[in-house]
Amino acid sequence: MNWSLFFGELVSGLTLGSIYALIALGYTMVYGILKLLNFAHGDVYMVGAFIGFFVLQWLGGPLKPVVTGWLAVAIMFAVAMIGCGALGVGIERFAYRPLRNAPRIAPLISALGVSIFLQNSALLLWGPQFRDYDTFDLVGVKSYHIGQNFFISNVQILTISVSIGLTIALTLVVSRTRTGKAMRATSFDRDAAEMMGISIDRVISFTFFLGSALAAAGGIMFGLVFGQIFSLMGFTAGLKGFTAAVVGGIGSIPGAVLGGFLIGLTEAFATGYLPGGSVYANLYVFALLIAMFLIRPSGLLGSPVIQKV
Amino acid sequence: MKKVVVAAVLAAALAVLATAAWGSTKGSSRVASPANAGSALVKCGKTRSIGLLAPITGPAASLGQPQVHWAKFFVSNYNKTHKKKVKLVPEDTMLGSANGTAEAVKGAQALGSTANVLGVVGPAGSNEVKATTGALKGAGLGWVSGSATNTQITLDGTRTGYFFRTVPPDSSQSKSVTAYITGTLKLKRVYIIDDQEAYSTGLADEVQAQLTAKGVTVGRDGVSQQQSDFTSLINKIPRNTQLVYLPWQLPPKGKAFGQQMKSLGRAGTKLMGSDGLFDPLFSSLGNNVYDSFFPLNPADKRVAAFKAIHHATELFGAPSYVATQVVAGAIDRACANGTASRAEVRAQIKKTNITAATSLLGLQVKFDKHGDMVKKPFGIYHSVKGVFIRVA
Repeated sequence: MNWSLFFGELVSGLTLGSIYALIALGYTMVYGILKLLNFAHGDVYMVGAFIGFFVLQWLGGPLKPVVTGWLAVAIMFAVAMIGCGALGVGIERFAYRPLRNAPRIAPLISALGVSIFLQNSALLLWGPQFRDYDTFDLVGVKSYHIGQNFFISNVQILTISVSIGLTIALTLVVSRTRTGKAMRATSFDRDAAEMMGISIDRVISFTFFLGSALAAAGGIMFGLVFGQIFSLMGFTAGLKGFTAAVVGGIGSIPGAVLGGFLIGLTEAFATGYLPGGSVYANLYVFALLIAMFLIRPSGLLGSPVIQKV
Repeated sequence: MKKVVVAAVLAAALAVLATAAWGSTKGSSRVASPANAGSALVKCGKTRSIGLLAPITGPAASLGQPQVHWAKFFVSNYNKTHKKKVKLVPEDTMLGSANGTAEAVKGAQALGSTANVLGVVGPAGSNEVKATTGALKGAGLGWVSGSATNTQITLDGTRTGYFFRTVPPDSSQSKSVTAYITGTLKLKRVYIIDDQEAYSTGLADEVQAQLTAKGVTVGRDGVSQQQSDFTSLINKIPRNTQLVYLPWQLPPKGKAFGQQMKSLGRAGTKLMGSDGLFDPLFSSLGNNVYDSFFPLNPADKRVAAFKAIHHATELFGAPSYVATQVVAGAIDRACANGTASRAEVRAQIKKTNITAATSLLGLQVKFDKHGDMVKKPFGIYHSVKGVFIRVA
């Protein structure tokens, strides 16, 4: 057994999975409340990565930031999360809310339209070139090792911890706050919640804000760990986040996180161990999605929908 | 409702008529059919047009921009000393982006249908050369690339007489790389990662075969050009690997790979790129970085003049200067009687003979029957304080 390879892929998979988990949370929350697959979510993640990049430039760039590197990272997270939260609220207000009572295919098509709109706007505004976060210059990437086989960098530790921290914070918001209770009520029965005096519009806007803010955090993590961002990065990441949400059981917050880590680990271990894995890792990831649908259509932690007839 | 439908049909009909009318007015500057495009004579006039296919934007823009700068530098030099002027008609190929190949073909079609374009410089990548062959050859255009190095694109016979290049092929690059790894660095364990493109896999195959023949233990893998996460792949590279060879086309990807190597505690492993990574982004990774690059005469006065204008050492585009020189020279000769066809320009490209003394490359530019330069050495460079210095 090559333990160095095993632990290496484990850390890579958890890092990648942390990012997918944050994207999956947005998908799962919106689906839980609106029963809508928000296909623009991957592009919100891309916008978050770009906001982080431009904030970094505004702070003087990675070589000479006007504040310390880690403070710059914190500011990038804060601005991008607020910015993308607002973008999510705007998308819901103008692209989804008018279609709330339309047949379910209409908001789905609208979501695809918003996705293409954001992608092409990014191409137009920022071009197709790669933008470099230059994490080495910004925070000084350090590698730690335990024994001969276990290596992990400070940015990987940050990514995994931020992802777990944000998931815990989200769980607390949903389970312990009044707004969270309203979210759960809306998810359970929207009409009944409205009759009990809950402002559905506010709850839905808040859900979009939270989901989009988490996606922005994922976008910045991607830039920090892998060094570069580009305007079409949202498509594949969004697809993987969606897959993670489905694998975990769409509508379930712990399921989205579990699905994210599972997809990340599948990708990493496929690259490390399976034939042609570095090129065809996505083949294995989506094969997992198909297998999951066949074995457990409601996902790992999803509950089957029982329809009364 | 009926009125709305009638109005919509009328509007659509008007739109079709307007489009057709616009097309007929523009038709005078366009070639009627690709079949006779190669032999159609055009008046050379005072200004001659050369098409330029390059990744002006996109992930490979850091390579495409120098090519554009060097081609424009030639045009500016040429126009200063000639009564008849030359102008470039640029088309962006967006190499490396998701729709890159389609953009290259679109650009080639646009050049093919512009009647006064008599020859083309570019495109940058070997895959792009393959993709644009139908459009350019169909339009009868000869084209000269300043960076496409895949060995087979000249030898497979598909574009003989149409395609030429002012850079040596990978067969020459692979020999220089192998000789340096085994002879100078004396390494025994090498890992090769291609990027799944024709240029990359071709060069990787050649280097792998030659290294293996010399007794080097070679590991091999591949990545997609769209990939940004290399950590899982890096974990797979045996820890005793002495050098990772990356025959890639996108310098930002090379930089990301190098940074991820460092973040995983692999800073000690040497990295070697190919001509596609000959860029400050890659050399900035540190002193463990090597690269192979086209021949060039750094003492040529034009190199210093270019640096003075652009305040940068964008040498990757220098062969595109020579490619533009080749096409402009061919058009000059074909236009001796005031008119020229694309076929005549192609014939003149074939007869190109730029002496070593006047060539920016420091060697004679003359093509063999396949469209390759007769002389074809490749240089090896080492990154010292972030700048590539020639070492072999």
